[in-house]
Amino acid sequence: MKESPRTLQVNGTPVPLAEVPFHERLLDTVRWRLGLKGTKEGCRAGACGACTVLVDGAATLSCLALTHELEGSTVTTIEEVVRGPVGREVAAAFAEAGALQCGYCTPGFVVALTSLLAKAETSPPLERLLEDLGGNLCRCTGYASIVRAVELARRRRA
Amino acid sequence: MTARVRPDAARKLAGSVQFGTDVDVPSMLHAALVLAPCASARIRSVDLSAARARPKVTAIGAQDLPNLLPGGKGDPDRPVFPPERILFAGQPVAAVAAPTLEEARAAARLVRIDLEPTSVAGDLEAIFPEWPGSEAKESPHVAAHVRARLGNVERALADAQTVVEETYRTAGIHQVALEPHACVATVEGDRWHVATSTQSPFGIREDLASLLGLPEGSLVVEGTWVGGGFGGKTSAIVEPYALLLARASGAPVRLALTYREMFLLGRTTLPSIVRMETGVTDGTIVARRIRLLLDVGSSLPGRDFAAGHASGFLLGPYRSPAFDVEGYAVRTNKAPFGSHRAPFLPQAAFVVESHLEEVARRIGADPEAFRARHLWAAGEPTSLGQPVASFGLPAAFEAARAQARAWRADAPSGHGVGVGLGFWATQIGAGGEARLRLSSEALTIEQGEREIGSGSVLVGLAASAERATGLDRERIRVEYGDTSRAPFDSGVFGSRTVGALGQAVARASGDLLETLGARMGGSGPVRLEATPAEVVAVRGTARRPVRELLRPEEAGAGGLAASGRLYGTEGALDETRVLEGTFYPFPDFVGAAHVAQVEVDRETCAVRVVRYAAFHDVGVAIDRPSATAQVEGGVVMGLGAALTEESIWSEDGALANPGLLDYRIPTLGEVPPIEVHLLEGFPGAGPFGAKGLGEPPIIPVPATIGAAIRQACGAHLTELPFSAERLARALKLV
Repeated sequence: MKESPRTLQVNGTPVPLAEVPFHERLLDTVRWRLGLKGTKEGCRAGACGACTVLVDGAATLSCLALTHELEGSTVTTIEEVVRGPVGREVAAAFAEAGALQCGYCTPGFVVALTSLLAKAETSPPLERLLEDLGGNLCRCTGYASIVRAVELARRRRA
Repeated sequence: MTARVRPDAARKLAGSVQFGTDVDVPSMLHAALVLAPCASARIRSVDLSAARARPKVTAIGAQDLPNLLPGGKGDPDRPVFPPERILFAGQPVAAVAAPTLEEARAAARLVRIDLEPTSVAGDLEAIFPEWPGSEAKESPHVAAHVRARLGNVERALADAQTVVEETYRTAGIHQVALEPHACVATVEGDRWHVATSTQSPFGIREDLASLLGLPEGSLVVEGTWVGGGFGGKTSAIVEPYALLLARASGAPVRLALTYREMFLLGRTTLPSIVRMETGVTDGTIVARRIRLLLDVGSSLPGRDFAAGHASGFLLGPYRSPAFDVEGYAVRTNKAPFGSHRAPFLPQAAFVVESHLEEVARRIGADPEAFRARHLWAAGEPTSLGQPVASFGLPAAFEAARAQARAWRADAPSGHGVGVGLGFWATQIGAGGEARLRLSSEALTIEQGEREIGSGSVLVGLAASAERATGLDRERIRVEYGDTSRAPFDSGVFGSRTVGALGQAVARASGDLLETLGARMGGSGPVRLEATPAEVVAVRGTARRPVRELLRPEEAGAGGLAASGRLYGTEGALDETRVLEGTFYPFPDFVGAAHVAQVEVDRETCAVRVVRYAAFHDVGVAIDRPSATAQVEGGVVMGLGAALTEESIWSEDGALANPGLLDYRIPTLGEVPPIEVHLLEGFPGAGPFGAKGLGEPPIIPVPATIGAAIRQACGAHLTELPFSAERLARALKLV
């Protein structure tokens, strides 16, 4: 019997793993193999958060994830995240709060915050959210407007 | 009040703007650099043969430059690949391109570099253990020497009641934009094209023309969206290699730096040692002597701006009847000094403020009152004889002092509240031109800068046109073009966009309104108004749709065109006070006064910033949300420079912390609440009196934190950053 191809799902599209080298990182599969440039390459070492995507709904640093190890998983990138119900609210909160300048850290923050708000049953306290976002770096805003965006998104979820 | 949403917000939130790292063209090759493994060496050979033996690999080095460069040579002082000497650890000696990044890196590892290490000039104090005497000017270690003086400082210091002498040391810091430098180059015949993340497309074109020995007309630089600049994306760091690989391979080539490479190759603020000597009599400064040793890395002799720039700012913003300032730009085996946000000024302001506080305390004066008494007032001359133009710093200082008094009144014990000042001079660069096109429904601004994040281009230029014409910003579009299409502009640096290019936009707007007025007839000012369908010109009670005022050929060409220019005039110094080197006049005078409340943990010597307030002399805020955002962002970057950011070199000259784990920038959990106060009323030279704001917010921060730490625990720190270790030593705990 023919074995079904090993795949993972990215934004609803199956990606066959047969063509993907074993050492390829999810970040590069997403950006170069699939052409989805919304996920950013920053430090490529897990320190900046710019590469954050959702893997089965959980915020994941795609620069540290090996694509082959994600067989059977569902990956969602910023392009798809902002179309979902929670992601759309998070993006709207960031836009209203002016919580972006150059925009390079923005997809990572939006994806990370979306996963935090989507998985919580009730709206988590602000301090908790900010702590969980501590792995996302920003160099432009000084975080002040991002904190305002998080509070805005959080209040609207409540 | 609901703020307007930035026009680029939706796209950036969806991840759909193209940064330099995102450019992807068909048949593109990926490049990797081959970096020198040591800081100083004579090059015996660089052998590319094993790399070239790999399939589909293109490899280039110094030997290939005569063939690749159309003129056979580039800038003899700045060879793209060094033929003979390594000047800093990480200096590129070769470059490789291949169909995948992995193959390029594998091939790069096969390049054999044969070096004869030579002694490393690493440390300022190792190079000049004693303060340099006059013979030092001839030293090969000195890239530039500047000196200016007024009065007889030796006599004034000898006669002064009190003389305070201190030595300060400041660390090198890095811009750390989140997006590393990245570009894609394509060479077709004699058209050399590069799409790159840069603060200055025209600046890169000029730099490349020199480096590659090409006429500027052969080069097309297309700026992409920029993921942060902060001064670090003003030089052609990656483009020369990508272009030469494209020429050699015949294919488009992408080169993006890793973070490690960004730290190694980046041009930024480097360490300094500053000796300050101030003489005081009856509570008044009678003389200041300032000596600066500034590490400029492998900067070329004679091309250095840093020493004169830094020395000029160390003189202000305080008056002294006699002064003597001397600066040495010292060459070391590091990448060349470059512009970090407000180059060297956060460090300089810390030195000046901390020293004057010490002087005040030694004579029993209140440190804030002492500074207030000596602060420049508008109209009086600077130390170099330039009249201080409209200057909001005294007002900002008074507001900051009032805030500090209020915070001290309810600060818990163990907390300290400090005030720090800084000043800036908005740069003009060479200048720039803006072209406006008014169609029946919109006003379009064609210009040559890129939006690097602050909003100065996207929002600032539109706001400038809005103020000048009355047309709602929603109907004003900013267009970007590459260097073959857009009008020239020097670029986004020096906080200059609104002041220089914004002024050009205002002028073009004025021209446009004048033309419309001539066509409408009548008298009085002309304004533009947006209706849902179109744009209308209004003059008194007369209203005419722009559609009716356009000539047929204008309607066909996209609308009525107007252009405006600003090319710099920057004021003059009293050159009789300059003994040596180049000092720079200040195009305007921008002030900022900050207040910080900190808590110092006596066991760990950790510093927690509890709350922060910033008072900024902005001239006029043409867009309050983006002005506020600049202050918030600049303050936090300053907190990094004050507390945690420091480039560290090992004894062999290598950068020991080229990455985020050991070069620590502020994180979300470390920032205090920041109150932003924009002071208007002291107009600058920009449109409607606006002053540049990209850089001022970072300048006072280390000075302010230092003052607050001193209040909190008595520690008088003379080194930046204020690490726990330095604080522990200052408190004599270790």
